Amino acid sequence: MSAHDVLRAATPHAEPRAGATLGATCAVLAKDLRLLWRRRASWLAAATFATLSVLTYAFAFDLVTDDVRPLLPGVLWVTFLFAGVVALGRAFADETEQGTLDALLVAPVPRTTLYAGKLVAYFCALLAIDVAMLALATVLFNVGLLTPQLLLLTALGAAGYVSLTLLLGTLGSRVHAREVLLPVLALPLLMPLLIGGVRATGAALDLPHGDAPWLWLLVVFTFWSAAASALLFPLAVER
Amino acid sequence: MNAARALLGAAHAARWTALPPLTGVAMLALIVGAVIVAPREAVEGEVQRLFYIHVPAAIAMYIAYGITFVASLVVLWRRDLRADAVARAATSVGVLFTALVLATGAIWGQPIWGVWWAWDARLTSTLVLLLLFGGYLLARSLADEHDEQAARFAAIFAVVAFLDIPIINMSVRWWRTLHPQPIVLRMPGDQALPDAMLAVLAVGVVAVVLLALWLVALRADTEQLAQRAAALRAAVDRREDA
Amino acid sequence: MSVSPTGAHPAPMIAARSLGKRYGSVPVFEDATFAIAPGARIALTGANGAGKSTLLAVLTTLAAPSAGEAWIGAHAVSRASSALRRTIGVLAHRPMLYEELSPGENLRFFARLYDVPAADERCEELLRALGLWRRRDEPTAVLSRGLHQRLAIARALVHRPAVLLLDEPETGLDADGLALLDELMLCAPGVTVLAATHRLERVARWADGTLHCARGRIAASGAAAATPVEACAPLVAVRT
Repeated sequence: MSAHDVLRAATPHAEPRAGATLGATCAVLAKDLRLLWRRRASWLAAATFATLSVLTYAFAFDLVTDDVRPLLPGVLWVTFLFAGVVALGRAFADETEQGTLDALLVAPVPRTTLYAGKLVAYFCALLAIDVAMLALATVLFNVGLLTPQLLLLTALGAAGYVSLTLLLGTLGSRVHAREVLLPVLALPLLMPLLIGGVRATGAALDLPHGDAPWLWLLVVFTFWSAAASALLFPLAVER
Repeated sequence: MNAARALLGAAHAARWTALPPLTGVAMLALIVGAVIVAPREAVEGEVQRLFYIHVPAAIAMYIAYGITFVASLVVLWRRDLRADAVARAATSVGVLFTALVLATGAIWGQPIWGVWWAWDARLTSTLVLLLLFGGYLLARSLADEHDEQAARFAAIFAVVAFLDIPIINMSVRWWRTLHPQPIVLRMPGDQALPDAMLAVLAVGVVAVVLLALWLVALRADTEQLAQRAAALRAAVDRREDA
Repeated sequence: MSVSPTGAHPAPMIAARSLGKRYGSVPVFEDATFAIAPGARIALTGANGAGKSTLLAVLTTLAAPSAGEAWIGAHAVSRASSALRRTIGVLAHRPMLYEELSPGENLRFFARLYDVPAADERCEELLRALGLWRRRDEPTAVLSRGLHQRLAIARALVHRPAVLLLDEPETGLDADGLALLDELMLCAPGVTVLAATHRLERVARWADGTLHCARGRIAASGAAAATPVEACAPLVAVRT
C-alpha cells in the first residue's frame, strides 16, 4: 500500500452525504458515553457524595421522625443539585485541557451537534445517579418514591440542570477557582428549577403545595434552558 | 431611526455637562420631598420614608441590568470589548443598587415586622439577583480584562441571567404564597397612594435613575480609557522592540 | 505549482489579503497578504511568539480574523463553513486525542465525525501505515509522545484533506517517524501543505517556499511569493 494511496486527496464532494449530521451526532454521543464509562470512578464518587448528603440530612434534621414526608422533597432536590455540581464540574474541562475541543471545532460538524451529544450523555449519567438516590431514599425513609410521576419530575430536573451547567461549563480553563465558580454561577440561575421541583414533588406526595402550576414551571424552565443553552453554545465555545 | 440615533448621539456627547447638574438638582428635590413634603404614613410611621429611595433604587437596578443585557448582546454580535466595559460598569452599578434595595427594605421592614428579614417575596428574589450578578462580577474579575473569550462568556451569562429574572421573580412569589405574610410593605400598585406620595415618588425615580446613569457613564468611560491606555502602551512597547 | 502555457497562474489554494489578528488590544500580526498555489508546500518560519501558531489558528477557523480575510479554496475563513472544514487536515501543538480511548477508537470516532466512507477500512489502512496497528487497542495515555504524534497524523489524514495545516509536526518523532512524515505529508503530491517548523535544516528538503513571521509582519518568499496577489482577485469576486 503506497503512501500515495494513503494520502490521495478526497474527490471533493460538494455536499456531505444525507444523514451525515445524524451520524456525527451519534458518533459524538457514543464517544461521550464511552468516555463516561471509562471515567466511571469519578461518577461513583459523585454517587457516594450524594449518599453522604442524604445521610448528613438524616442526622442534621433528625429525619427519624414518623412525619418525614414534608421534608423529603427538599432533601431529594438538594441532593440532586449538589450531586450534579460534583458530577458535571469537569464536563468540558478535560476536552479543553486535552485539546480535543479544538479537534471537534475543526471538524465539519455543527456546534449544536457537539452540545447535543454531551447533553444526552451527561443527562443519562445524572439521571442514573438521581434514580439511585430515589431508590436509596425509598428504603431509608419508608416512602414509595419510585413512581412514574417522581421519575418524570426527576428527569425534567436533570434535563434542565444539565443543559444550563453544560453551557456554563465552557468557562475557560484558565480562570482560577473554576470548580468553585461554576456552582456559584449555576445555582442562582437554577432557583426556579429547585423551587418548582420541590413543590411538584410535594404535590406528587400529596403534601400541601398551593395553587401555582409547579409542573408547568418545571417544564417551561427546562425547555427554556435547553433552548437558550443550545442557541448560545456555539458562541460560548468559539475561541 | 436616524433622528433617534442622532438624539442618542447628542445625549451621549452631552453627558458630562448635563448629567451632574441634573442629578444634583433632582437628588436635592428628592431629599426635600421625602423628608418634608411627603405626608407621614399612618400605619408605618416615619420609617416609611425609605420607600422613596427603595422603589427608585429597584427601578434603577432593573435599568442597570437592562443596560448590561443590551451591552452583552453587542459584545456577542460585534465582538467589541468596549461594550464589555459598559456591561461591567452597568453590572457594578446594578449590584450597588441591589444592595441598596435590600438594605432599605430591611431597615424599613424591621419596625413593622419585628425582624430584619421576613422572607418577603420581592426582597428574596432581589437577594437572588444580588448573588446572580455578583457572580457575573466575580467571574469577570477572575479573568483578564482584555480576554475576549472571557468577555464573551460573561456576556452569555449576562444574557441568560437577564432572561431568567422574570422566571426567578415569579417562582419566588409563588413559593411565598404558600405561607402568606401578615403585613406586606406598602408598595405602589398594591394599594392606591395619595397624590403627594406619588409626586415625591416620581421625583425620586427620576433622581435615582439619573444617578445610576451617571455612575454607569463614569465607570464605563474609565474602563474604556484604561483599554485605550493599554493599547497605546502595547503599541509603544512594540515600537521599542522593533 | 506550475505556470500554464498562457502565463496565467492557477487560482490559489490558500490566500490571505490584509489578514490581521489581535487579542484584545495587542496585535499578533497585521496586514498579511500571500497566496499559495494548489500542491505547493510552504514552510512557516519565525521565532517563538512571532505568530506562526496564531496564523494557523486563523486559517483553521479556530480563531476569527480581526482584520482582512483569508480563503481556503473558494471558502472564506471567517465563514468557517463545514465545506471549508472538510477540506483541511489539522495538526496542532497538542495531539488533540482522547487519552482514555485507544488509538483504534480515537481514529474511528474521527472517521465517523468526518463521515469518511468505508471508515473501518480507512482506519486500518492508516494505523498500519503509521505503525500503530499492533497497539491499536491500548489506551492512548500509555503511548509515547512519538506514537501520540503518529496517531495525530493519522487523525489529520483520515478524511483525505486537500489542504494540510500543520503546527510543528516533527515534535516527538524519531527517524522512522520523520520519514513517515515526509512521505505522507510533507512531500505528498497533489496536497497543499502549510507547516510551521523550527527544523530549518529540513526545510530545504521539502518546501517550495517560506512564509516568515517577524515583528507582526509575514513575508513570503519562494513559491509563496511567486504566485502574484492578483490571483486572489477571482476569490475576492466570489466573496462579494
